[in-house]
Formats: sequence, structure tokens, C-alpha cells
Amino acid sequence: MSTSQSKRRISNGAAFMIAVFVPITIFLIVQLFSDPAVFLTTILKSLAMGSTYAIIALGFVLIFKATEVVNFSQGALAMIGALFISFLVADETIPIVPWWSEGNLVPIRNPIYDLGLPSWMAWGLSFIVALFFAALIGLFLERVAIRPMIGQPLFSVAVITLGLEISLRVLANDSAKLKLRNTNTPWSGKGFNIGDNFLYWSFFAAMIAAAISVVAVFLFYRSKLGIAMRAVARDQEAAMAQGIPIGRVFAIAWGAGAALAAVGGLFATEPPIKQTGAVDAETSLVAFRALPAVILGGLDSVQGAILGGLIVGSAEIFAGQYLSGYTSVLGAGYPLVIPYVVMIIGLIVKPYGLFGTEEIRRV
Amino acid sequence: MKKVTKGFAPLVALALVAAACGGDDAADESADAPAAAEEPADEPAAADEPADEPAAADEPADEPADEPAELLFDYGVSDDTIRIGLNADLSGPFASLVSQIVEGQEVYFEMVNEMGGVAGREVELVILDNAYDVPTHLANYEEFRLESEEGVVFFTQSTGSPHTAATVDALAEDNLLAIPLTWYSGWADPDLGANVVEINATYCVESMNGVQYLAETFDAETIAIVSLAGEYGQDGAQGAKLAAEALGLEIVYDGEGAIAGGDQTPIVTELVAAQPDIVWMTTTPTTFAEIFGGSVAQGLQAQWSGNSPTYSYLLLNTALADALSAYYTFSTYTALWGANDSEGMQLVISEMQKRRPDAIFSDNYIRGFLEAMTAHQILMAAADAGDITRAGILEAFQSAEIDFMGLAPNQTWAGDPNDYIVRETYLYDVDASIFTPDATVSDADGSTGSVLAAGPYAGSLAEGFTYEGPCFVAG
Amino acid sequence: MFRRPNLYTSYQAETQVLPTFTKKVIAIFAIVALFLMPFDVPIISGPTELPILRSIPLIGDGLPFFRFLGDAAWLRYMSDAMIVVVAALGLNILTGMAGQVSLGHAFFLGVGAYTGAFLGGHATDSVYGHGLPMWIWLPGAGVGAALVGIIVSPVAVRLRGLYLAIVTLGLVFLGIHMGNTDWGRKFAGDPSLGRSFPEMDLRVWKEETPLVSISEKGSWFGVEMSSNQKEFLFVAAVMLVFIFFAVNIKRTRTGRALQAIRDRDIAAEVMGVAEFKYKLVAFATSSFFAGVAGALYASHIGKMPAAQFNLILSIEFIAILLIGGAGTVAGTIMGSFFVILLPELVKDFSDWLSERAEGEGIVASVSEVILSGNQGDFGPISTATQTPNYPLNVFDLNLVLYGVLIIVFLIFEPLGLYGIWIKVRNYWKRWPFSY
Repeated sequence: MSTSQSKRRISNGAAFMIAVFVPITIFLIVQLFSDPAVFLTTILKSLAMGSTYAIIALGFVLIFKATEVVNFSQGALAMIGALFISFLVADETIPIVPWWSEGNLVPIRNPIYDLGLPSWMAWGLSFIVALFFAALIGLFLERVAIRPMIGQPLFSVAVITLGLEISLRVLANDSAKLKLRNTNTPWSGKGFNIGDNFLYWSFFAAMIAAAISVVAVFLFYRSKLGIAMRAVARDQEAAMAQGIPIGRVFAIAWGAGAALAAVGGLFATEPPIKQTGAVDAETSLVAFRALPAVILGGLDSVQGAILGGLIVGSAEIFAGQYLSGYTSVLGAGYPLVIPYVVMIIGLIVKPYGLFGTEEIRRV
Repeated sequence: MKKVTKGFAPLVALALVAAACGGDDAADESADAPAAAEEPADEPAAADEPADEPAAADEPADEPADEPAELLFDYGVSDDTIRIGLNADLSGPFASLVSQIVEGQEVYFEMVNEMGGVAGREVELVILDNAYDVPTHLANYEEFRLESEEGVVFFTQSTGSPHTAATVDALAEDNLLAIPLTWYSGWADPDLGANVVEINATYCVESMNGVQYLAETFDAETIAIVSLAGEYGQDGAQGAKLAAEALGLEIVYDGEGAIAGGDQTPIVTELVAAQPDIVWMTTTPTTFAEIFGGSVAQGLQAQWSGNSPTYSYLLLNTALADALSAYYTFSTYTALWGANDSEGMQLVISEMQKRRPDAIFSDNYIRGFLEAMTAHQILMAAADAGDITRAGILEAFQSAEIDFMGLAPNQTWAGDPNDYIVRETYLYDVDASIFTPDATVSDADGSTGSVLAAGPYAGSLAEGFTYEGPCFVAG
Repeated sequence: MFRRPNLYTSYQAETQVLPTFTKKVIAIFAIVALFLMPFDVPIISGPTELPILRSIPLIGDGLPFFRFLGDAAWLRYMSDAMIVVVAALGLNILTGMAGQVSLGHAFFLGVGAYTGAFLGGHATDSVYGHGLPMWIWLPGAGVGAALVGIIVSPVAVRLRGLYLAIVTLGLVFLGIHMGNTDWGRKFAGDPSLGRSFPEMDLRVWKEETPLVSISEKGSWFGVEMSSNQKEFLFVAAVMLVFIFFAVNIKRTRTGRALQAIRDRDIAAEVMGVAEFKYKLVAFATSSFFAGVAGALYASHIGKMPAAQFNLILSIEFIAILLIGGAGTVAGTIMGSFFVILLPELVKDFSDWLSERAEGEGIVASVSEVILSGNQGDFGPISTATQTPNYPLNVFDLNLVLYGVLIIVFLIFEPLGLYGIWIKVRNYWKRWPFSY
């Protein structure tokens, strides 16, 4: 397909966007004036939802940019990360169950809490240690399952990550299943009222975490290692010829991806996604809910992940809030499929997502 | 597949069960009972012993004196064992619940085997995992239905409504009985569930009792009904609607079948807009937590309750604990751990403490005991009639009267559904402050945070209800 | 009779369905074995009775894998696997031949299942059904799914690689959601109990007694057979038809066009292969296979909810293709049997291990190290049903092993079972100079 065609497609796309967005904007303005408090809550909620999706999406993008693999095991990694946070931070224990201790299942206490640090500092330190553990899992998986696949068809690697997802999710469920494991953050369950509407601090925490993640990722891409990673993403062979250790770059991408998944997993246990503040079997599904965000934004774009997350998250929350009267037509549980509908519409307009790099096709 | 322990230890003097087993030398043996109680830790080890240990097979031989000389049996029974099947979800979404139920059954039958088994035969539990998957359930069923000693005579657990429904025709063909983990009112309908042994009240009756109890206790005028789509949710919702109509409650939000997985914002929005006095829910604990938490956060002040298993005491481990204590009434079908002082309750507690001292504290073992008691008593009745073929057991089931020893209302399936459907349920107040998340069954102050409010409770609506078929007819 | 390998004297000879004598023999042997499988053949049935095998200490009283013949639970798995072969062959046309990766195959199976139920099922108050005979509903299911495939393809054709994979993944979620809506329930029945699917019976029209009854037990050619055995034979026949169909597609103009598109789509277009048209054909054919397989699958299960056509099923198909070796019919067939029977093998293996643990000798002590009866025993895997913390419960272990085996397989044999087969073949071809 020639360039002129693709240009025309974008302008078509613009017309399409206008046709879609103008009525939505009008509808939202009407809602804003009819009940500002509800509207404001909904906006904050959708920003929080979008931020959580964006964090998860960033994990996908980070791994994809370095290794060209969509990591389908991101959901299991998110759950494992959330479990680490639950063990280290909420239960103040080390996540090793001493099964060798002949039935005496007393967990080992997390030593950070015994150092006499102020509680917020102990919390923060434990949180970072939990992320570090999650990253270690990522490193390990990359070394064991992904590294041997360098040079193999990309789809085989993607299926390997599906295999990882199956195995890891079972292991994670197994260690969480008899209890709902609290993540017990300082802001857990707390918040304030606007009118009748309760705003959780976790909404803002999610937004702040997303902002920090984005800044961290941008800074990371400016570091020497990040530049190496971008080079690898551009052309693996050329990067290797320049002396860039591809294996190490892969490992770091997976480690960072797993840590981001852990942060996403934490917010997947809190409002607006979950009210319980606890890790359960559904926590790992958050990755499949965030996948449309990644695709909509473009698989290899950091900006795309953020924007995609926000669009998909807002669409889900706003549809849930303002279309609830039409449940009988749309079907029970319709918000769950809204992200996928938005994604498909988006891809009709832009087949590589909003910011994705178009594949250059040579004859 | 795990085989349940052969009985080694001497009998424990449990008068009722001993009598039921036809044991005449209980007095002799009871002298040895303390010795058995002292070494409960050895019990699990027995499971690992080689199968050809002679003691087990020999012991019951001299036990039942009044056993008929000729006992008919066909598939799943041999001269020394009776095989019972559990097609259970042990790795799927309900694994944690079902594994505790299975644990309860194992403990019960270990006890029965120690007392000499059924008809001089040891009861062997054959457990297969259906992973909550219909094809797997059906393939497992093929292994259970075998018309040889390798088959089974009874299903004491058939997890999942779609799974059980998929085997209904085959059950009828094979003369097999199955206890499902569901309380759908349609099972009492002979067209659907002639071979399905439903124990306790149905969702529909439970809803009537629950709504009536809430309405009378909290002086309610308006109600919101929210439920999952499908047999469970809509059966419960229909019961609640019948009750609301009869009590003159205004239904301000009718969310029958409105719930599916994922984001619950639409339902929360509608509930908050409707501002009901009471909310009746029929859903799963995770979904309930979303809707309940979301609505309470938006300032809804209502009294909540729902069909079991809408609520799980594990939710008391979460951020919702305080709100649950304030607004939730837990409705269920049976007495919970320690809720009364009946013989059955003492049996559950002492047996669990003796045989599984490290098991996590939970109410689900009681359900396991109820299922096991049902199977045990039906098998005993069949053995008394001298016929433990599959057909004989089916016949015994049709006239059986099950005595749950105070764990739940006694049950029978004889005659017209209106004569036998159970109309009593149990209601509990929730108190997060007494909940003990890390307790084991051996802890004396263990609690799931439920305090008996009423039960066995049968409201006037449930008492007067005429069963004319399922409350909700599913596809 | 024996010719030199790889010597073909004409194009015709090279593109035959079964080009060599060995292949013909293997095919005939496989077909005979397939049709004998549901019957009790004393020599190979049950825990092995063969004296030679019995004398081997480990296998002794029964390797877990020697008992899949006769009317038993394994027959069901085999029927499942054969239905999956049909569906996987469809995906092979789309993904293996045309290079379009789809994670939405379960969706098309679902469309087929419910089209079949709409045409052949029995209507009740809550679901549609027209009670038509099987010769209408089975092909009809395929056509219905193919039409949906054609509707989807204009979007799909524009997308590439993983974008396409994830959009088709979206189809699976949308499909399950549609089964949940009020109008969807008219097709799919109750969301938790599901609906009844038509039975496999050959009728001329809607008469009471079927011409040939497959879903009831009875005698065929003087042999008394259960419904499972009959269904097995019927499904086997359908599978053979579709295998033949799939092998032939590869030899046609369409097959060559699809492979050209897979290898380099833009180059194919330059050479005059109409990309859009052939991708559409690929989608339609693939969905047709999926539709027929879906209707058969549903009928074989009898009653199930729409949520059964979920992502895990889709993943299973992709795993089949990659494990079998994408692009080849033989690989797809091997992959289907491997992936569907794998969990059963794993399960049987755990059973076997736990039985061994009770005996004596090396195997028993190894098993005892691996297994533990209860919490707190030494050994990472528990055979107890309830495991409060660790060790891991056996049932979960089966799932974990399933995932791990997929990974291990792809890492060590990226070309799949077909690759192993080629290696073995080449080894013997060059024997005794194979190095």
C-alpha cells in the first residue's frame, strides 16, 4: 500500500474520530451540569483506573520494546508481585514457607520491621524489597524460558509466555487460595467524601504511582543501559555488533517489566478495580483487561501505553457509570468488554495503534 | 486419587453412629478409645501404609452380627470395600471450598471405617479432580460409572451445576445418585434431578426466609434485588421477589441476572440511585465484595444479605470487615461451627480435632459431614434391606430419612416435593472482631465471625410456600 | 515397490496425498488401528498382560499409559482429541499456511456450536431450536461459522502479527459476553447450566426413530456397542474426511497462494496473488473447520454453558500448532493428540507415582521423596486433597506440569513433534551412516 493511501486513511480516521467524539463530549457536558459531584468522582475513578492500566501496559511495552515479545504472563507476574507485597509488607513476613519444618508453619518475620526505623520508612523499604523480589522472578523467567529462544519465531516465544502464565498462575493461586491476602497499604480503605461520594486515597495513589513509573521509564531510556535497550529494539544484530550485551538487556527489561507488573498488581487489589484490598484469583486477570490499552496505544510506545490506558480505563468507567440503565440491552457485565470494543474500533482506524511504529514492508 | 485410611485404631464410643452401624461390642472397645485419642498425629501416616495390610480387611468381619446372610451387590462394591466417588473441583475456582468439604468427608468416613464400615465393608473414597471443567467432569464420570468393582456406587460430591446437569441423563441410565454442591430449586423437579440428592433448603426458600427476616428485623419498606445471571442467581432472585410481593415491599431496583464478572460500576450506580432499605444479593463472594464495597463507599445505608455462597467469612480479612459487621446478615443452610450444642456439632468438632488437628478453621467441614452422613445413612438403609446394588441404593434413597443430628434440618425425599422440601434456614450476624483468620480446628476460640441470630428459621412465607416446580426455569 | 527416497519423476508424483509406499502403509495401519481402538483387544488392553512387559520391573503391573483401548474413560479423551484435530486443522490453514495468528479460534467453535444447536437442537421456552437432522446442522454449523469469519476478516486482514492475535483474543471475550446477553441466551441457554445440544443421530428428516442411532447404545454390524464407542467411530470418520480435505487444500492453487502470502505478503501481491481475497478464503475455511468441530464438540459434551468456549481453549489450539509443528497436517494431528492427552498422562503419572510410593525399592523411595501425604511431611508435592500452605497439591501440580511441558517442548524442539519425526526419519534414512 502506498503512502498516499495511508495518508488518506488517517484523514478518514480523523473524520471517524469526530463522528464518535462529538456526541460523546456533548453527552458528558450534559452530565457534568446535571450532577457535578458524580461527574467529578467518575473522572477521578477513571483516571485511577486508567493509571493502573497504564502501569500494567508500561510493563508490556518495556518487555516488548527490548525483546519483541508480548508477555502474556504479565498477569501472573502482577499477582505474584502483589503476593510479595502482601507477604513482606502486610504480613511483615518473608515469603518462604518453611515446609521442611515438619508441620510447624511459622513464617519467618521480615527483619526490616525489627530495625527500629520509623514505620513509613520500614513500609517503603519493604515495598521496594518486594518489588525487587518480583524483579528477580522476572529475571529468572527470562533466563530460563526466554533466553534460549533468541532467534526463534516470535510467536513461539509468545506461546512460551502463555505456558508461563498457566504454571505461574496456579502456583500463585495455590499460595493465596485459602485466604484473601491483604495488601494493606497505608491508604487502604481510607478516603474522604465529596457529597455522598466517597473518594479513596487509592485513586490518587494509583495516579501518583503511574506518574512515577512513567518518569522512571523515561529516565531509564535516557541512561546508558536504556540507550542500549533502544538500540536492541531498533536492530538486534546491529546492537550486538556494537558490543551491546543483548542477554543482559533482555534480562533487565524482564526484571523491570515484572516490577511494574507488581505495582500494577498492587493497584489491581484496590479501588476502583477491587473493593477488598486483597489479592485473590482474579488479580491476575488485570493483565488481560489492560491488554487492549497496550494494543490501542501501540505495542512499542511508552506514550501509547499511557494514553491507551487512560482511554480504555475512562471508557470502561464512564460506560459503567452512565450506561447502567441499558444493562438489559448491553448484557450483564458489559463494562468488561468495553476495552476490547474500544480497541477494535481504534484498530480499524489505526492498525498499529495510536503511537505504534508501522512495520516497513519490503518486497 | 487418594485412598482413605483403613481402620486400625479401636472403636471410638459414639453411641449414635455405633448404633447405626449395628455395632454390639462398643462397650468393650470404648476402654481403648482414650489410647486412640492420644495419638491423633499417627492417623495421616496410616494412609501411606501398603494396601495389602491384612488388619483392615479382617477386623470388620466379626463386627456386624445382625447383617443379613445374603447381601446383593453389583458395581463398585467388593467383598471388603464400598467405593464412593467424588467428582470434585480441586484445582479450579472453588478448590479451596471444595477441598475442605472433601476433607470433612474423609474424616467422617475414616470414623465410619473405624467403627467397622458399612455392611462389614470398608468405605473407600475415590476422588477425581474435575477442575471445574465440563469435559473433564464427563471424562471422570466415565471412570466412575464402570460396571465392575472399579466403579462407584454413589457420588458424594459432584461439583458444579453445569457439570452435574451434563451428567443427569447418564446418572439415570446408570442408577447412580449424586450429591451436587448446589441448592437449585429445580433439582426437586423429577424431570431434571431424579438422581440428584439435594440436601438442605433451596436458594428460593432461603431467599424467602432471608428477605422476611430482614424486613421484619429492620422494618424495611423498600428492597433491591441483585443477582447473577443463571440458575443460581435467578433462582435466588425469584424467591426474593416472591417474598417482597407477599410482604408488600417495594422493589426499587430489580437487578435479576444483572451481574456478570468484572467491573460492577453499573450495578453500584443503580443501587445508590435506588436507595433501598434492604438489598438481597445472589452472587459470588468476590463480586459481592465489589458491589457491597462500592455501594457503601457511595454512602448507601442499607441492610444486606444474600443467598449462600454470596458471602464468605474470608471477606472479614479485608478492608470491608467493618462495613460487613455493620450491614450484613449472613444467611445459610446449616448450623455453623459451634453455633449449637447438638450431637452432630460435637461429632464434627471432636472428629476434626482428633483426625486433622492442624486443619484450617472453617465451616465447610460441616457441609462435608452432611454429604457424608447422607451417603452413609442411605447406604446403611440399603444394606439393611439386603441390597447394595446401584438400583438398591436408589430405592433406599427414595424412602430414606436422613438424621443430621442437629447440624441441619433432617431430610427425606419420599413422596411429593411439597411434603419434603426443607423450609428452614439459618441466619447469622457478622462480627469481625471475633474472627480468627489464622486459627486451626483445634483452637477453642476459633471463629468465622458469625453469631447465630435465628435458626433453624422458617418464616411464614417459606412455611406456606407450595412447590410447583422450579422457581426459575433454566434453559 | 521400494524406490529411492526423494526421487520423483513427475510433479504429479511429488504432490500425491501419500507419495511413498511407506506413507501409504503407515496411513492404512493408522486407520485400522484407529477403528480398532474402541474395542477391547485383549493383548493390548488393560494393565499390561504381556509377559515380556510384565517381566520389566518398573512397568511390571502396569505403566499408566497402556490402557487406552476398550470402552473406558480414555475413549472420551480420544474422541475429544479427534474433534480437536478437526478444529486444529482449521487453525492450521489460517495460521500455519496463511500466517495469520489467531487467538480467537474458540470463538468460532462457539459460533459453530450454537449454529448447530439453533438448527438441530430442540426448542424450549427459553432457547431456539429447529430439530433439523444432522446432515443439515453439522455442515450448517460450519457454514454459519464461515460466514462470521467472512464478516470479521475485513478488519483482520488489515492487522498484522500480534495485533491480529490480540484482536482475535478480544473476539473470545466478546463471544462469551454475547452468550450472556438477553438475546444471546436464546441461543446459548442459561449462563451457568447451558443448553442441550443436538445428538449425533442420522435421520432423514425429523422422524422419531433415527435411521442410525449414535447417541444410544445398541448393536452395529452385530457388535454390541456403547454410545461412547459409536461416537468415537463417527467422530473418527468425520476427522478422516477433514484430514483429507486439509491435505488437499495444500496441493491446490489456493494452498500455494496462502503459503506465498505467509512467506512475504507484499511479494505475493506483486506476483499477482490477490491478498485480500485469499486471506478471506483462509478465514472462511478455517472458521468452517472450527464450526463443524464446535458443533461436534458441543454434541459430544451434551450440555454446557457458553463460558466453556474461553481463552484457554484458544490457547490450547495455538499450543497444538506449535507443539505439533505449524504448517503441516501430520504435525497438527500429532499435536492435537499430544496436547489433549497430556493432562491425562500427567495425571496418570502422578497416580502411578503415588501407588509406587507404597511399595519398596528405589522407585518407592524416590516417590516418597517427591510426594508427601500431608502437610509438613518431607516432599514438595502433597497427595492430600487439602493443602493449607505448601506443599503443592497434586491436582495443581498437573496444571503446572502442563504449562511447563509446553515451555520445555518449545525450547528444546522449536519445530515441534513434526521436527522430531523428521529427525528420526532422517536418522534411519541415512543409517548406518547417520551422524
